[in-house]
Amino acid sequence: MLSLHHHLPGTTNANLQILPTTHLRHSTSIHPKPYLPPLTPKALLQWNRKPQLAGETPRVVVVTSGKGGVGKTTTTANIGLSLARLGFSVVAIDADVGLRNLDLLLGLENRVNYTVVEVLNGECRLDQALVRDKRWSNFELLCISKPRSKLPIGFGGKALTWLVEALKARGDVTGGNRNGSTGSRSPDFILIDCPAGIDAGFITAITPANEAVLITTPDITALRDADRVTGLLECDGIRDIKMIVNRVRTDMIKGEDMMSVLDVQEMLGLPLLGAIPEDSEVIRSTNRGYPLVLNKPPTLAGLAFEQAAWRLVEQDSMQAVMVEEEPKRGFFSFFGG
Amino acid sequence: MALASIWTVEFRLLSVHPCSPSSTTRTTRIHRFRITNGIPREVLTRTQQLKQHCITSVSQFHHQLVTSIPMPQFLVNRNIGSNLPIWVCVAVVVLVASLRRVFSRKKERPGSVADLVRRGQLRSDRRGISRDLKYEDPFDNPLVKVSKSKSSVEMCGKVYRLAPVTLTQEEQTVHQRRRSRAYQWKRPTVFLKEGDSVPPDVDPDTIRWIPANHPFVTTSTDIGEDFAHKNVNQKHGVPFRIQAEHEALQKKLEALQNEEELNKVVINPTNAKELERPFNSHAKSNDHAEKSSLNNQMKDPPFSKLENGPNHFESEPSSGEDQKS
Repeated sequence: MLSLHHHLPGTTNANLQILPTTHLRHSTSIHPKPYLPPLTPKALLQWNRKPQLAGETPRVVVVTSGKGGVGKTTTTANIGLSLARLGFSVVAIDADVGLRNLDLLLGLENRVNYTVVEVLNGECRLDQALVRDKRWSNFELLCISKPRSKLPIGFGGKALTWLVEALKARGDVTGGNRNGSTGSRSPDFILIDCPAGIDAGFITAITPANEAVLITTPDITALRDADRVTGLLECDGIRDIKMIVNRVRTDMIKGEDMMSVLDVQEMLGLPLLGAIPEDSEVIRSTNRGYPLVLNKPPTLAGLAFEQAAWRLVEQDSMQAVMVEEEPKRGFFSFFGG
Repeated sequence: MALASIWTVEFRLLSVHPCSPSSTTRTTRIHRFRITNGIPREVLTRTQQLKQHCITSVSQFHHQLVTSIPMPQFLVNRNIGSNLPIWVCVAVVVLVASLRRVFSRKKERPGSVADLVRRGQLRSDRRGISRDLKYEDPFDNPLVKVSKSKSSVEMCGKVYRLAPVTLTQEEQTVHQRRRSRAYQWKRPTVFLKEGDSVPPDVDPDTIRWIPANHPFVTTSTDIGEDFAHKNVNQKHGVPFRIQAEHEALQKKLEALQNEEELNKVVINPTNAKELERPFNSHAKSNDHAEKSSLNNQMKDPPFSKLENGPNHFESEPSSGEDQKS
């Protein structure tokens, strides 16, 4: 859960030091997508600091899993709003063509009037289809289609690439200060919520992405799908893949009823962006349309999402994970309390 | 239990009368006065003794009853000074609970500004009621504390043991090679509907076959790729489809207006009034103007545009000239 090297960089934890995933990009030359020069994250411990943005903007990140119901949309919403809270401009694209839900999780379902399909058809402009969150004005949502409309897949992937280019060029033309708002600048992050499966929607969603966040749960069904999807992403040229292990239960790990995060990492061989503990507050926040990271006081899962967002900004990965809950060492610990 | 408590309360209430000396003396005096009118003294003294006996027996019974039931110490002990802290605590608790309820009601008031902000209807940062996010380190804050030995972390009050990540770059490379062998995949670039013929010079591995009844994807589109690209890049002005529809309607309207039959038809202004759009701002003034214009129609043939309204066909040439100019 924590990056230990953040706290004391000069310590002798040699086994904890691991090369960032950005180094992997240079080890492969067969991949068609251009890679950005990695920036060394300077994550020194200090209060009231901001994470240092690594990589060239906009960072186009696809959140995918293969298996459904592992928390792709929840992760997109929470990491997106965490990034927005940290001051970065974020556009979240709900590329789940058939079953979109990101608007519900963000509480923006009543404000989605236009989608990408209407933009492609010339029924609205792109800026009209972007739904700005009123809580954090540097967060915008873009839905790819309405539930009953069909996406023309003939240029679906290309269309997403055009969208990314148009968003990138937005800051150049409008200048950001044209309407006096800072939200119309080029986004720092474009998060693409990928649909489950490896169907046409998946192919469309991964097209413009430069990096991927793979969501999985510690069970064998999700792991098999995650491995397959990782293989497809790597075949497509996306090499910067980090994973988030969701719905981790330390009590079950302790009882050896669930694979630990380290077991999952051993099976997939991917660097860890985060490990999100199972939290009942996730369901409540989903029902309220109020992402978990906005909760006050923050919950365990909300803190884990914030940490994952922080690592995403700095292109960092976890160096140590929470394994199990330690017994309390109180006065009554002798009696098993 | 409830019944027993009720019984004890009743007994206590009954026992009040013999305990109060003033009330008993009054009643006995009244009885004496009345009885002494016609009854001899011996009888009177006997009855007096009997009464006294009854009273004493009842008071003894009451005393036994009270002493047999265990009472709380603070109720038995009537010394106010020693119980004062207890009563103060009780009062403070009640006061805090009531205040908390009042404040919680204020917070949860539906329709308030805070409620609207919470529901995302209002922007909090514009109203000055938002708390700026302090960019606290999410890895070291009051809710996340790492032990000095870095072997455990306390999150949200729970202490977890930490284990270091041992994945090396070599292991990652091994996994990548394994996957590259296991999953041979090429991105589909051509999407075909079932029944379509495979175009020449296309790698069959890059073809994705889409079922005709796919729920959310279609291979056919009524708009070209170039148009779609242009639409995505449009930043200002009216969207292409809206503009096209508007132009088509405009042409249709012009075509209708240019038809000779329509030009010959002179619509009675009273009927034309029904076809007009109800402009709220000018509705009354238009009515008034039309009445006056109808009255003056023969006298003063040239009408102003505003008075005639948009559907008045007699003023067609002038409006057409204005659109062109």
